[in-house]
Amino acid sequence: MATREAGKKMIMLKSPDGMEFEVEEAVAMESQTIRKMIEDDCADTAILIPNINSKILSRVIEYCNKHVPTTGATGAAASDTVAPAALAEDLKIWDAEFIKVNRATRFDLIQAASYLNIKGLLDLTSQTTIDTISDNSLEEIRSFLSTKNDYLPEEEQTIRRENQWAFQ
Amino acid sequence: MGLLALQRLMSMQRDRRHHQIQPHRNGLIASLAKRKELTCLQEDKPGGKKLRRLGPSLPEEIWAHIHSLLSLRDAARAACVSHLFQRSWKCHPDLTFSKETIFNENLYRKNKTSDETTSNGVKALRLVMIIYHILKNHSGNGVKALRLEIDDVANISACYLNDWLHLAVKPGIEELALLLHDDLDYNFPYSVLLNGSANTIRDLRLSSCVFRPVAGFSSCLRSLTSLELSEVYITGDELGCLLSSSFALEELVLAYCKEITCLKIPCVLQRLSQLVVTDCENLEVIKSKAPNLTVFEYTGGVVEVSIGDAVLDIMISASGWNVVHYARAKLPQMVPNLETLDITSSLATDIPFLPGKFLHLKHLCISFMVSAGAFCPDYDYFSLVSFLDACPSLETLMLSVTQEIVEHDSVLGDSSHLRQMPGHCHASIKDVKIIGFCSAKSMVELTVHILENAVSLERLTLDTVCYDLRCSDGASKCSVGHKNMITEAHKALVVVRSYILEKVPSTVELNVVGPCSQCHAVEN
Repeated sequence: MATREAGKKMIMLKSPDGMEFEVEEAVAMESQTIRKMIEDDCADTAILIPNINSKILSRVIEYCNKHVPTTGATGAAASDTVAPAALAEDLKIWDAEFIKVNRATRFDLIQAASYLNIKGLLDLTSQTTIDTISDNSLEEIRSFLSTKNDYLPEEEQTIRRENQWAFQ
Repeated sequence: MGLLALQRLMSMQRDRRHHQIQPHRNGLIASLAKRKELTCLQEDKPGGKKLRRLGPSLPEEIWAHIHSLLSLRDAARAACVSHLFQRSWKCHPDLTFSKETIFNENLYRKNKTSDETTSNGVKALRLVMIIYHILKNHSGNGVKALRLEIDDVANISACYLNDWLHLAVKPGIEELALLLHDDLDYNFPYSVLLNGSANTIRDLRLSSCVFRPVAGFSSCLRSLTSLELSEVYITGDELGCLLSSSFALEELVLAYCKEITCLKIPCVLQRLSQLVVTDCENLEVIKSKAPNLTVFEYTGGVVEVSIGDAVLDIMISASGWNVVHYARAKLPQMVPNLETLDITSSLATDIPFLPGKFLHLKHLCISFMVSAGAFCPDYDYFSLVSFLDACPSLETLMLSVTQEIVEHDSVLGDSSHLRQMPGHCHASIKDVKIIGFCSAKSMVELTVHILENAVSLERLTLDTVCYDLRCSDGASKCSVGHKNMITEAHKALVVVRSYILEKVPSTVELNVVGPCSQCHAVEN
């Protein structure tokens, strides 16, 4: 974890439940939404994230902290240099641990990732959801996704017939 | 969190002075109001206490995003879950049609072994029918990739192909691949790209069809970064016309395009970094002026090559062409910055000392390969010293010899001294690997020369068998071109003991690989 150095710009993120998180600007800018605000000079000291509660926001920040490109001696982000394989492997293991959460938290993280436009986190959370869809029966998928069958029986029959090949 | 609670929270926040993030316009979440809470579920809380809470849900945009990431089969199955997924299915962005994506892989493999011919014919027909039905129900909107990988389906009607292309190729498409059976004389209707979709295509792959782009059309392909044509009927002029304004092109792959005799790449292709040309049998000239071409791969016969000096990595697999000699004589001047050179040839003549050096070459791989009989018995492996001499920065050397029989003069039973070539220090060489190491005297001389003159050598690998397949790589049995080579390998092991071991300095790690102890133990 990088220590806070003098001169490193900090940004305050506020969750709607009143919690404040002070994060390095570079970490906050992992979110393209926040990056755009900062680049457009729309951000002063604090940014309110209206619909992400403190529990989820802290996890998002944890993710961004881990994934922010390491800064070199010059202070320039080394995002365009290829991370060594070991580092990538370490991140993969870390991601796998990070995403071991219940479904509700995962869905909240998906929404947060989408809202804040953090591609890596959106991919990670989406992929975990995709894994629950593959190789499961329709009833299991409905249960995993907490979604209900809104087909009329004859509609369901038709669509099942059209996509029969995918069940064989 | 309930909808009411959220709304209350939102209204409280409205009065605050802090900046709030506005949802990004093209983002997946349009507004919180869209969020619907669905069923009540029991979820386990850490600690074993059960908490009743509202079940999680996501806005439709996010579901659509997740659905778009599913494989074709999963996406089709998910369409049966609810209307929401059915809507996503009708604009599924990735339409990759191949046996692998349509059929259950396990079942497919099982069928393949049971009754191959009937099953393949039936399967091809079923594949076409399934593609037909999927595309009939598809809205045609939102397609990012259309890949028709149906190269084992013969006799498919051109009308079907035309219809499918017209349905799915719309502005916004990024990848188009059409891999057809080689019996088909399908004329690719470039008109499908004229509706504006050419502007967004980044990746275009065509195989076994006729492609005759006309002037004016190519100026539309402004996003094209990767073009791959295999067994495509297109002339050099037609291709030239296409390339002349494909300014974004980064990778060009041409294979088995027999109408091309002259390939000219204009200097306006500033981003082109990779050029791969494979077996275009009538090709005579390759002339690239692309200033940033770094990788060049060529497989085929003699061709006149001129490529820019930015090239760092060259792979040439030549037939009927003494490419090792060519590389030594021509490449130092043509590509002075070359770092990696990988050449394969069935012909060889001794390499003389020539002017010109590969000052930056770090990795050199030379493969001699003959499909039958012995590799040039008169060839002097020791003459490769002159090649090494021209590469002062060389770090890794790989020499590979594939043949069925060794006719080179053996060092065993030869009473004459091993030749030496003093005064050549290969200071940078760290890693040397010889695959197909045999008892040929000149090969032993080369090896000893390296041991004595490569002062930084860290590792020497002598692999005495050039296996086609290895059981350690998953093959059921190791396979070698001819069983002669197992006998040769044992001779080579004797040579290692008699001539090499004593020359290996203590700083060098020597790896000697013999015939596979499981597959070829009996013949020992």
